[in-house]
Formats: sequence, C-alpha cells, structure tokens
Amino acid sequence: MRKLVALLTLAFVLLAMPVSSGRAQGTLRVALGTTLSQLDPAKTTIGDEYVYVHLVFNGLSRIDRDMTVKPDLAESWTASDDLKIWTFKLRQGVKFHHGRVLDANDVVATIKRILDPATGSRARTNLSMVDKVTAVDPQTVRFDLNISYAGFADVFADRQMRIVPKDKLNELSTNPIGTGPFRFKSWSPGDRLELVKNPDYFEQGLPKLDGVTLRILPESATRMVALESGAVDIVWSMPYESVEKFKNHPTARIDSVSTPTWDGVILNNARPPFNDVRVRQALALTVDKAAIVELALFGQGDPTFSPIPPSHPYFNRSLKFNPPDIAKAKKLLAEAGYPNGFDVSMQVPQEREQRVRVGVAVRDMARAAGIRINIERVPFASYTANVAGKAQMFVDGYFARPTIDTATYAFYHSTGSWNDQLWHYKDARIDQLLDEARKTNDEGARKAIFEKFQAIVEETVPGLVAYSAAHVNGVSKKVEGFRSTPMQWLELKRVSLKP
Amino acid sequence: MQLEASRKPLTLQLKVGLAIVGAIVLLGLLAPWVAPHPWDTISMRTRFLAPNATYWFGTDEYGRDVLSRLLMGTRLSLAMGVGATAISLAIGVPIGLASGYFRGWVDEALMRSADVLMAVPPIMLGLLFLAVTPPALWKTALAVGLVYIPQIARLTRSVTLSLAGEDFIQAAKARAETATYILFREILPNAWPPLIVEASLRVSYAILLGSALSFLGLGAQPPSSDWGLMIAEARSFLDRAPWIALAPGAAMCLLVIGINLLGDGARERLDPRLKSRVAT
Amino acid sequence: MAAYVVRRVILIALVLVAVSILVFAITTLLPANVAYLILGPFAQPEQVHALEHKLGLNDPVWLQYLRWAGAFLKGDLGESTLMNRPVAPLVFEALGHSLLLAGVSFVLVAVIGIGLGVVAALRHGRALDHTVSIATYLGIAVPEFFWAIIIIVVFAAWLGWLPASGYEPLSAGFSAWAKPLIAPVMTLVFGHLAHVSRLTRSSMIEVMQSPYVMAARAKGLPERVVVLHHALRNALLPAITVLALDFGRLMGGIVVVETIFAYPGLGRLVVFSIQNRDLPTLQAAILVVAAIYALANLVADLLYAFLNPKIRFGDAA
Repeated sequence: MRKLVALLTLAFVLLAMPVSSGRAQGTLRVALGTTLSQLDPAKTTIGDEYVYVHLVFNGLSRIDRDMTVKPDLAESWTASDDLKIWTFKLRQGVKFHHGRVLDANDVVATIKRILDPATGSRARTNLSMVDKVTAVDPQTVRFDLNISYAGFADVFADRQMRIVPKDKLNELSTNPIGTGPFRFKSWSPGDRLELVKNPDYFEQGLPKLDGVTLRILPESATRMVALESGAVDIVWSMPYESVEKFKNHPTARIDSVSTPTWDGVILNNARPPFNDVRVRQALALTVDKAAIVELALFGQGDPTFSPIPPSHPYFNRSLKFNPPDIAKAKKLLAEAGYPNGFDVSMQVPQEREQRVRVGVAVRDMARAAGIRINIERVPFASYTANVAGKAQMFVDGYFARPTIDTATYAFYHSTGSWNDQLWHYKDARIDQLLDEARKTNDEGARKAIFEKFQAIVEETVPGLVAYSAAHVNGVSKKVEGFRSTPMQWLELKRVSLKP
Repeated sequence: MQLEASRKPLTLQLKVGLAIVGAIVLLGLLAPWVAPHPWDTISMRTRFLAPNATYWFGTDEYGRDVLSRLLMGTRLSLAMGVGATAISLAIGVPIGLASGYFRGWVDEALMRSADVLMAVPPIMLGLLFLAVTPPALWKTALAVGLVYIPQIARLTRSVTLSLAGEDFIQAAKARAETATYILFREILPNAWPPLIVEASLRVSYAILLGSALSFLGLGAQPPSSDWGLMIAEARSFLDRAPWIALAPGAAMCLLVIGINLLGDGARERLDPRLKSRVAT
Repeated sequence: MAAYVVRRVILIALVLVAVSILVFAITTLLPANVAYLILGPFAQPEQVHALEHKLGLNDPVWLQYLRWAGAFLKGDLGESTLMNRPVAPLVFEALGHSLLLAGVSFVLVAVIGIGLGVVAALRHGRALDHTVSIATYLGIAVPEFFWAIIIIVVFAAWLGWLPASGYEPLSAGFSAWAKPLIAPVMTLVFGHLAHVSRLTRSSMIEVMQSPYVMAARAKGLPERVVVLHHALRNALLPAITVLALDFGRLMGGIVVVETIFAYPGLGRLVVFSIQNRDLPTLQAAILVVAAIYALANLVADLLYAFLNPKIRFGDAA
C-alpha cells in the first residue's frame, strides 16, 4: 500500500512539472476540424485544405480582403483588345522552397497539369476557355483564350490554381514545394501539419512568425477548450453556437467577416419530383430563410437568393424575401400532380452540423405543405461519390469564389462544370445572361445583368440558396495583426505572437 | 430440473430492477400520450430554455421539449435492445443447440465461425456491417443482433452440453424421438433459465452498443430522438445547455442499471448456483 | 502445454484469414466507386476505366482477394486512398498509440478494480461497499462517449485542469505527453472498473468465508497477512479471467474514446477509413485489431491455465 502511495505521488509530481513546450516561440497553432486528404493544391477541395494551400503556395494573382484582385507572382498583366490574349509578367527572383527560382516554365507546367483530365483537378473547368499557354520568355507567360473573358486575371487567385515547381510535380502529395510564406515541414495524417517560416519569401520582412502548426481536432468541444486553455491560438471557422461564449472572454476574441460562402438545399432538376418547376416553387414557398439563419447559424449570416451575398453591390435589392405561403404551395403541388404531398429523402453531411440544422429546419417547414422529408446523414467524404448530382435532394454549401462569374457560371450555366454536381439546371435565359456578363467590363451593365439573373433564379428555383454565411475565427488575444478574410483562408504573413 | 423457489419472496434487488424497468417500459409505451409537448416541432422562441415548470428537462437547439423527446426515444432504445437481442436469440440459440447436441464437425464448424465473428471488437464489427448501407435505426438493431450471436450460441451450447448427458434425454433418445423434438421440447425448456438471464444482460449491452453506433452517425437519423443521437447532437451545446445531453445520459444509465438489477435478481432466484457470470 | 499453445496459434492464424475474407467481402459491397474516389468527381470516363483496370477492380472478387492477401503477406499493406501514402506505417503508428492508451488503462483497471473489490469485500454490507458498488455501476451503465463528454466538460472546460485533446509526442516533454492522456484514460478506466471490482468483491467474500482462510486465522496470523497472502491469491483467479476479457473490451472502447479525444490510434483510424471508404487502410487496421484481440485472449487463457491449480496439476488439486 505504501509503495502504491509513493508511486502515485511520484507520478503526480512528474505531471505537475512545468511543461517544456518544445515549440519555438512564435509558432502559431491553428485548430482545424477536418483532416486533409490532399496536399497537392490542384486536388484540394475542402476549406481546411485551402487554409494550408494559402500558406504554402502563391498564385499569379491574389485576392485582397476587400475582394479586389491584386498582383502576386505576376507583377502585372495585359490583355489584347478582344480580351482573348493575356500576357502575364512574372516577378523576378521568386524562389521555390527548394531554392530554385520561379520561371515561366513552372507556370506553364502548373497550368497544363490542371488542364490535364488525368490530374482530376476541380479547377480544370475554370480554365476551359484556355486554348494555349506558352512561356514567351523566362519572365513572361502568354494565354490564348477561345472566348473573350474579362475577368481572366481573377481566376488565378483561386486555391487550386497555385503555382507549383515543374521538377517536383510527383512529390506534391508527400513533400509539397511552393513559393509561399511558409514551408512544409511534416504531416502526420489526422493529427497535425507543421509548417516553418520561409526565410526567402519574396515579400521583404515577411512572414513574422517562425512557423505554423495546423492541428486536426474533429470534436468541436475539443477545439473550444483548446482555445480557452491556450493550447491553440486560432480556431479556424469556429462553430456558430460557440460564438456567444467568446464575446466577452478574457483570453480569446471573435473575429468575423461576412462572406459569399453559401449553404442551401440542392434539388435535382432532372429527376422527379423536382423536375417540375411548380414542385420546386412549392417547396420554396414553405421556407422562412430568416428563421433558417437563426437556427443554423445562430444569426451569423444573411438570407440571400443566390451565391451573390447581400453585401455585394450586385445584390438585387428590389427582390423581396416573401413570408411562407402554405396555401399557394399546396395549390402548386396539386397542380403538379401531388394533391396529398409526397415523400422524399434528403441527404445531409454528417460532419457539418450547420448544414444538418438547415436540413432539419427545411424538413419541419416543408411538412406544412405535405412534403414529407426523410433525413439521411451521410459522411461528407461520400458526398462526391454518391450524393452530389445524383440524389433527389441534399444539403450542400460552397466556399466563396474569387469573382461573381466563378461563383455563378459553373453552377448555373447549362454547361457549367458544377451544374452536374448539383441541380442539373437548364434555363436559356440564364445561359444568355451569364455569357453576356463575361463579355463586358462595364460595371453598370454587369450589375443589371446579375440583378436579372437573381430574379430568374428566384422564380425558377433550381435549389434553395438559404444564406450567405459569416466566417468566424476564434483568436487568442496573444495573436497580433490578424484579420479574417471573406475567402475563408488564413492570412498569416503579417501576424505575430505576443511573447 | 424444474424451477424451484417460486414461493420465495422477491429480493430487494429484483424489486428495484422490476420497478425501474417496468416504469421505463410503461412510459415508453405510453409516450405519445404522456409526453407533455410535441417532440418534433421546431419552435424558435423556446430554444435553449433551462429546465423549468413548463419544460421539466428544458429545451434543445430547435426549441423542442427534451422530456418529450426523451420519452419518445425510450421506445427506440427499448426496441433496439429487445429487437437486437431477439435476433441474437433467434439465430444463436438454434446454433448453440445444434452445436451442443450433435457435436462432431457440426460443432467445430459452427464454433469456429463464431470465433471469427468474435475476433473483432463488437463495435468495429457493427461499424463494418453498417458501413455498406445508408444508415437507419432498424439496420443498427440488425447489426447489433448479428454481432452478439456468437455469445448467445456459445452459452446455449454449453448449457446443451451439460444437459445432453441427463437421464431424461437418454430416455427420449431411447424412445426414438426426433432430434428436433429433443432439442426444442426437452432441452430448450430446461435450458432457458441461464438463457433468460443472459438475454436480459444482452439487452443492456445492445442498448449501449446501439447508442454508440448512433453516436458515431450510423444509427438513428435526425430528427429522431434516439438517446445516442440526442447526446451526439448535444455535444456542441454542452457549455450553454448541458441538460440536452445529461437527460438522455441519465435515462440510459437508469435503464441499464435497472436491467442489470433485474437480470442479477432473476439469476439469483432461478438458480443461485449459477456463478455470477460477467457476460462476454 | 506446448502443443496447446501451438494449436491455439494455428487456430488464431486461421481465424485471421477468415476475418480478412469477411472484411474483404463486406467492403466490396460498399456503395462507392473506388476509382472515382481516387480521381475525383471530374475525372473522365477513360481515366476511370484505366485506373479500374490498373487496380484490378474488374477482376473477379476472389482474384482481387488473393492478390491483396499475397501482397499483405509480403508486408505490402497497400496504399491509403484517403491519404495517398503507404498503409503499413500509418497502421503501425496508430497501433502503438492505441496500445499505449489501452495498456495504461488496463493496468489501472486491474490495480484500481482489484483494490476496490478487496476494500468492498472487507467492508462488505457497509456504506463503503455500497458506495463503491454504485459508483462502479454508474461506470458501466452509461456508454463511454457520455463519460468522455462529461469529463471534457467538467475537467477541461469548467476546471481547466486537463487538455481536451489526446495527443502530444513524447518529444514535447514528459508532462506535455502525459497530460492529454489523462482524460481518455480516465474515461476508459471508469467505464470498465465495475467488471473487475464486482467479481473481485464476490470472489473475495467467498474466499474469506472459506475453511482455508479460517484455518489461517486460527493459526493466529495477522489479519493483513491473511487477507493479502491467503485470501487474495485465491480470489484473484476469476478476476484475472475477467481482466483478460476486459482487454478485449478496452479495444472496443478505444473506438469511441479516440474519436472524441482526437487521439490518433487504431480506433479512430477504423472510423475514419470507414467514413471515407479507404478500403486498404480499413482492411489492414481491422486485421491488426483482430490479431491483438486474439493474442490478448490467448494470453488470458494461458494465464488462466497457468494459475488455476486444477488445470495445472490435474484434478488432484
């Protein structure tokens, strides 16, 4: 017995010893909720992966906090008068993490790789207008497009478009090399990703941190506790239900920004029952979007009609959010051949609680008109294989896209690459509007076009885009210089830690 | 070997067990009528209310009454426990009987198959079965039932083995009764005391395993008020509304304890000579 | 004895083969096209067909199995479709972490469980006995995930004593490494104490009333010696059987505990690979778990045979 007590005391003493943290001062620790399946930027698909991509890689252009496109690896660009030939001038002396200087051939290799269907990159269709890409000289890249495209430079700010070294293409999944402010050090799948400062980063004096550690903590309670106890410095994309708690907290604060990121109920327009526009309209008539924002986001968002957020100048202010009209919904259903309503299954992604809440809310609202929804929670990873584009009805959401065109064309145009992954929507008027928008740089004309776009979308209901969500980060008060960005990645170049 | 001691007074253990389980079963059966509020209707104004006079166990993130959801969930948990155990018995008992009676290669084949199923921890086996199909609570009950077949089979087998040598079995054989008759009319009626005790413990294990699978997302689906699912959904709100998780947790605790007391009490009563088996 | 061990080991090997077939069979039923999972949703049909051909997905299932089994035996556990890296290091690293967690928990369950059982037996019928009974009952009556959540809320969120996530490498210092283990270990231990303590208690009570102990007392030996040297040794036998079974139960318990505490062990790996349809990892992980489970049972049986005088010395004892 005495021996046991002695042992326990010894254990206690050992545990109470001060923690030798073993980490360099100035290493920022971030908590992410989902593990990274991909380290290859061209193949990344989820927000947690984009956080890593933004720290390790650069694109030809970048998006600023105010959603304007600025030069990054390309210091300038010009377009021919017909907007079909674009020439990018690369910055001099940018070094990859393995020491070699970036040149035009790396850009060509990156782009060709993305265009190659064998790579399986989601960004491939973003470049569908590219006919040819050539390295004119070591500092100059030229793109020949098959259509006039006003916003071409914007495309390169996107996550999968980041430039990778032509001699390291096969190692991107295991030992990624980029040009970004932080270098890849190690990856323990499901546990943590370690990045260290890139001393040769092309922006002088940056980054300030010694390194960044991305820790995977799937349980949200664990992430909250980690922030409170100081085990992590930033909780990326904090769950909305926890925002309340940190409003007046001694050691951590909330940093939020409104974004074009949206969630919604996707309806398969190619399969019954939602192939009939009246059925889709009936569903829309049962839904109260303001209530959904409250239920799913705890108020951290705004109702919207499409991926265009209320904060955007193109938002159609003359359209109204009508209150639910159950009588009209029932009438439409009867006209469409469902006088007693119908039963349908809806998939929701298991690990995304806010989308599950959207699903539960819509289910409850639709019941009033006789639409009986059966919810199925499915692992998010199997969405791509089984749900997206195939299920009759499912809840999904998309991150902010760099431009309005990229946010809408791929989703709503009948040839859009994401359309088949969503709602199989076809409307000739929409196609025409979106094509027109690409051809003009005149702000006034574009605004008018997109306002019409929103009106038609509201009328034909390809799906119910519920809201534009705010992006919220939980940040320790020791972190200096951090602001959240609407693109939802973490801008850490200028961030430092108080000692 | 007939039942003895039917005249002995009920022990305290048995009484408490019966009371608890009886009350829960009753509440579960009467849930739709006894529940004070709707369990499935979203109500924006009543979200996250702490337990009070109107909502005895408070409300959840959708404004639904936790007590009503708990009561409706009782049926689901009981159904899970009983359903899964019924499946285990329906398949496991005949296997055990056959194994213990016929011996030889039948016994070897069946028992080795049982070994294979028991080679993996039950929860992983359950995960594996449920991974191949979209989730639904009845599938979870089926999977849990399948997972526990080997244990039931083994127990039945050992009881059958010990009974097979008895005189009345020899007499039946001498009378040239069919194997089916012997198994089901002679052996089984005498084998049931330990089986009943085991089955009752299995119900509590099935409830726990079923709720773990629901917790991991492979059981009941929202907006169901299955207890495991309730706890899983309540995780995000533990700091602002702990009652959402505590209520189903306490309910599960009570039910399992009740079943264990009932099982232990029944065992002592039916055959005190049975060693206190800690079931596998 | 040796023959018995050999027979058991062969049996274990056969069982593992059967388990591998079972897992393979079940996973081929998974409703997901593996090629699409690897290539992504925008893959062209030609790429998909090419990859399916390369991975041999068009061959009959039994051929696929044999191919996989052959590679497995050579030490090639395949490549994870989720993480694009070889499975073997992933699985073995996770195994190490799980063994640590299960091992520490096992030792504590044994020590604390037996200790509580003895104490309850010695004070049997009194307040302490009832308290121990109730407390340990609570442990097993409620699922592990519930206790895990309570522990996170109470010890990590309210009191701030413990970190809520389960892993730091040893290189970060002993204390940093040990602290995150406390919460998951506590959860596992609390959830399994009752099995051991209850059995020890009833076994101890029985032994304390046996003629053997009465004789020892009559000899005038001090009570402590009677309890520890005479009674306990005999009471331990059933407890040891249960303990061995408990190791298997702990392996089951780690699935939920590792998931909640973000502890990078086999349990979490199995859940991840099922959710993400990562078949190679899933197959390897489950086989490893089954092997450990089987070995634990073997050790338990051997220990039981060794300690039980009836088996060791024949019926004469």
